[in-house]
Amino acid sequence: MRLSEADSHALAGASAVPTYLHDGTTVMSWLNTRDHKRVGVMFLVSVILFFFLGGIFALLLRFKLLQPGPFFVDALGYNRLFTLHGIVMIFLFLIPSIPSAFGNFVLPLMLGARDVAFPRLNLASFYLYLAGAILAIWAMVQGGADTGWTFYTPYSSTTATQVFPVLLGVFILGFSSILTGLNFIVTVHTLRAPGLNWMRLPLFVWSIYATSVIQVLATPVLGITVLVVAVERVGGFGLFDPARGGDPVLFQHMFWFYSHPAVYIMVLPGMGVISETVSAFSRKNPFGYKAIAMSSLGIAFVGFFTWGHHMFVAGQSTFNAGAFGILSMFVGVFTAIKVFNWVGTMYRGAISFRTPFAYICGFLYFIVFGGMTGVALATTSLDIHWHDTYFVVAHFHFIMVGASVMAFLAALHYWFPKMFGKTYPEGWGLVAASLIILGFNATFIPQFLLGNFGMPRRYYQYPEHFQALNVASTAGATLLGFGFLIILIYLAIALKWGSRSETNPWRSKGFEWLTASPPPTHNFDETPTITQMPHDYRTHEPGGVIRVA
Amino acid sequence: MSHEADALGLPPGILAHHFSSLARQNEAMRLGMWLFLATEVLLFAGLFTGYSVYRFQFPEAFAECSRHLELTLGTVNTLVLITSSLTVALAIHYARTDRRRAAAICLVITLLFALSFLGIKAVEYAAHFHERSLPGKYYAYEAVKIPGAAMFFSVYFLMTGLHGLHVIAGMSVLSWILRRTLQGRYSSRYYTGLELGGLYWHLVDLIWIFLYPLLYLI
Amino acid sequence: MSESGPSGRPTQALHPDDRHDQHAHSALPYFAVWIALLFFTALTYLTGKQHLGTWALAIALIIACTKSTLVALIFMHLKDSSGTTRLVFVTSLIFVGLLLFFTVSDVATRFRPATPAGAPFGTERSQPEGLLEHELPE
Repeated sequence: MRLSEADSHALAGASAVPTYLHDGTTVMSWLNTRDHKRVGVMFLVSVILFFFLGGIFALLLRFKLLQPGPFFVDALGYNRLFTLHGIVMIFLFLIPSIPSAFGNFVLPLMLGARDVAFPRLNLASFYLYLAGAILAIWAMVQGGADTGWTFYTPYSSTTATQVFPVLLGVFILGFSSILTGLNFIVTVHTLRAPGLNWMRLPLFVWSIYATSVIQVLATPVLGITVLVVAVERVGGFGLFDPARGGDPVLFQHMFWFYSHPAVYIMVLPGMGVISETVSAFSRKNPFGYKAIAMSSLGIAFVGFFTWGHHMFVAGQSTFNAGAFGILSMFVGVFTAIKVFNWVGTMYRGAISFRTPFAYICGFLYFIVFGGMTGVALATTSLDIHWHDTYFVVAHFHFIMVGASVMAFLAALHYWFPKMFGKTYPEGWGLVAASLIILGFNATFIPQFLLGNFGMPRRYYQYPEHFQALNVASTAGATLLGFGFLIILIYLAIALKWGSRSETNPWRSKGFEWLTASPPPTHNFDETPTITQMPHDYRTHEPGGVIRVA
Repeated sequence: MSHEADALGLPPGILAHHFSSLARQNEAMRLGMWLFLATEVLLFAGLFTGYSVYRFQFPEAFAECSRHLELTLGTVNTLVLITSSLTVALAIHYARTDRRRAAAICLVITLLFALSFLGIKAVEYAAHFHERSLPGKYYAYEAVKIPGAAMFFSVYFLMTGLHGLHVIAGMSVLSWILRRTLQGRYSSRYYTGLELGGLYWHLVDLIWIFLYPLLYLI
Repeated sequence: MSESGPSGRPTQALHPDDRHDQHAHSALPYFAVWIALLFFTALTYLTGKQHLGTWALAIALIIACTKSTLVALIFMHLKDSSGTTRLVFVTSLIFVGLLLFFTVSDVATRFRPATPAGAPFGTERSQPEGLLEHELPE
């Protein structure tokens, strides 16, 4: 079905209707909104802010690492820097980023719904996020924690730094994450437009759904874990303290039961974005829609069975190490299925090499190498050598920055016209993408080498002969930072002074492109009936129809 | 959509605009509450994990300390919670059969049971403070001096403490739906809000059903 | 053709509360479950006091699970609920089981000297129970 501007407006309603951006312009109309799109935008602004904060911490610690000996900050200061970098990046950026910012905006649109299932709960999620963030920031201002974002006991239950407010902040942030996941699950179950059955769901919806399942099941365990450590700090309960019969490894079990599935919370939505954009920019139906959809659920499920691979050298039993090692091998299969299908989608497609596509390319490269090093690390015998070295650091940055952040940027550029009705400068988009991909490689490939040569992570000082690689890594990080800064600048300029975009500049077949860009508050004047396949780029007239109810 | 609300004779503000029908909205509310209950189950699961690990490692201490808990009070509390589950289920039953007064009375009784639970728990805690059977570094109980005893009480206080917090939260939920019941919001046409509040209370009971034998009857 | 409820779905697919059926809703099941719960509580109390050793935990858990099933199915109306809500509840239990399994299997199969001091199969306890040395009053 050819979708014209007229059709989009017909679905959206009369053009006299204001867009969601202009429907109420007071601060209160934003602070008290029920509109999922506004909640999404507020999340987007917040996560971008915290991304830069986390990035500053990263640049500061990389600056210290230019010198092997004491330099710039003392050891305690350095410990605080990498702890805060981790906490801000993981809890304030990666976990909420794609789901809360883009998922919120796009999910109801993709389902033909007017809003998420519980709009007020959605707003509550945002305020909980802010509350947790404020607590964490306050803790930072007071000096921050020095435990690493992993809060291993008994150090975290005894160190004198500001661990307590950070833990409380993390608990509240977890709540926000849970409520968002809950909201999305119920939305997908109960607010699909007529005709939109499960096997017609856009692939982004599948990935958000799988992510939400993880959020609901895993995050409470993190909640109780940080709560117990907080109580330990205050009450000396000794649950994880060996001197009182406690077991520090128990903390690690409880922590990683959440934190391993958490890495799938961080990457699955990105995979959903890639599925959407790969189809749109290859102008081709997804190769293996069902495989991609089911593999999202597969990752969510199998991801829960692998947490012990973070604890191979922690002191867990050999039985556990063996079991987790084997189980960890399975989870890579699903990502491989996706990569295969994405490449299959691009093959013989009509590629449109725009900024989102540049990020897709980056994503594919990073997830393959990041993923393969992950499988290597999950091999117990190899992990003995690599555990707690820069090899691990490089591995997870390949996935979390290389994959997740690339996907975030792809989403940002792909949905920028949809969300704001403006066009970003394509040339600068490609320049920034190149800088980022280059800078990223320059930052983290030296870290693989450093790790393999034996440089431990989180160490304040290192042997002289590692300096060259460290300097290279810092140089790369600076380049990376510049790339991100350029994006911030041109997007801000485009927002204010950019040219008006068309309703569907990418000619994408995504359902969210059916309505106006930016959409009106109520999304659709009448609920559409969707019987068409998602991502359908077949040139002949497809059998399905999108009609207004 | 509003015509359905009018046709059913619902008070205003019940059917949200983005749901196609009341049945859909009810389905969404129930699913949402069950998902939330699932998160609560997993929250307590962390503590049950700690319990399992330490009971496995200190079987004698756990058994000995368990014998020094007030079994009578614990059993009474179990009966109190079970009966409060009955009364809240009855409240929903009466609401959906349009007997508003009976529903409200049942909710009040449930709240009274909840209060008694907390009262009995307070008596138990006071006894622990008195005999110094306290968690971790505060443990100084003369009667049991074997390794792992302090750990039992750490686990005991964490589990019953978190459960107690949920009883208090449950009481707020019950008070809220009591207020709504008195305002006439629930009837045979719509009582989902009441049902959801009841579900939360049942969860509090469910958790205690496991806590009781695991703590008091080792 | 089966009747459809307010959402247009066939009546059987709806939750009983949305069917607007005319049949009277009885409170009898709730009282029956309550009596059963009292019975099982008495059972667990009596068997618990026997201190049956190895079997005690299994019996206690079986009784607790039975009580929970009754509360969930009847009091919480899971019996009448959609497949999705039932799946949600069951899934949460499966993941609790997963967490419990691998943590207990760890401590159960660990290298003996790596167990905390004072454990029945570990080495001598290194710290006095209660206050640590540096916390003792002067």
